[in-house]
Amino acid sequence: MSTVTEQRFRQGMTFPEWKDSMTRNRDMVEAQERRITLTPEQIAPFRKKPLHVLAIGADWCPDVYGNLPVLARIAAAAPELDLRVFDRDRNPDLMDQYLKEGKFRSIPVMAFFDRDWREVGVFIERPASVTALRAEKRREIFASHPEFGSPDAPVDQLPEDVRARLMDELGKMRESTMDFANAEVVRELTTIVEKA
Amino acid sequence: MSRPLRVRITYCAECGYEPQTLELTGGLMREFGHRLSAIEIIPWAEGTFDVRVGDELVHSMARDGGFPELEMVYAAVRTQLAA
Repeated sequence: MSTVTEQRFRQGMTFPEWKDSMTRNRDMVEAQERRITLTPEQIAPFRKKPLHVLAIGADWCPDVYGNLPVLARIAAAAPELDLRVFDRDRNPDLMDQYLKEGKFRSIPVMAFFDRDWREVGVFIERPASVTALRAEKRREIFASHPEFGSPDAPVDQLPEDVRARLMDELGKMRESTMDFANAEVVRELTTIVEKA
Repeated sequence: MSRPLRVRITYCAECGYEPQTLELTGGLMREFGHRLSAIEIIPWAEGTFDVRVGDELVHSMARDGGFPELEMVYAAVRTQLAA
């Protein structure tokens, strides 16, 4: 269980401040914000109790610029959520309380606290269902493109043009799974707040 | 004439691994200079951090976990330069 004080929490950035601090990928964040649509039914669980949400991110990370805007859109529609964002590498005291599997500085972290600063639940990186779907889609890409070789082989052995095509295919796959991923993030965050 | 030896570093450009990539690259430059024929950096994704010395994959984050010890990579380079 983490220890986060109100004073430490208040040192974080609001989501607009975090966007202003970004040095890259702000366009990706804003594209996500436009893409995400939420129904009143999806917002309702987040309006039941006031909660503080401590988010940790970095502007280079696809899981951050993919998943943090989902939380931000929810918080914009649910004023009961008090969101603060911290940069991963400038706040190791916070990051090291939320290591994935006890060792990885995976982001985003979204930690929910009640009004008495008791931790309610934590979301880290991405839902397992998203990882599983993308792994399955990745295997399909390799199966339908023999020129990509084995899905387990290091990519540095591929010719540059083949490597570039593989990167394109992986990018298209990520895009095609985005709506599923967004829905899964909403589902996991809902599960957390329902425990509050 | 010595055999040309290339070191290839494949790193995840979506994971913030630039500092480790540059640390290893700089270390190789200082340690071996022109005894290496090339140091190649390949930006990739998928949590990759692989180091290949010649034809040998001496470190793979997926296979070995984490980042390599610099001395381990240097030792692999010395071994191949001496071969």
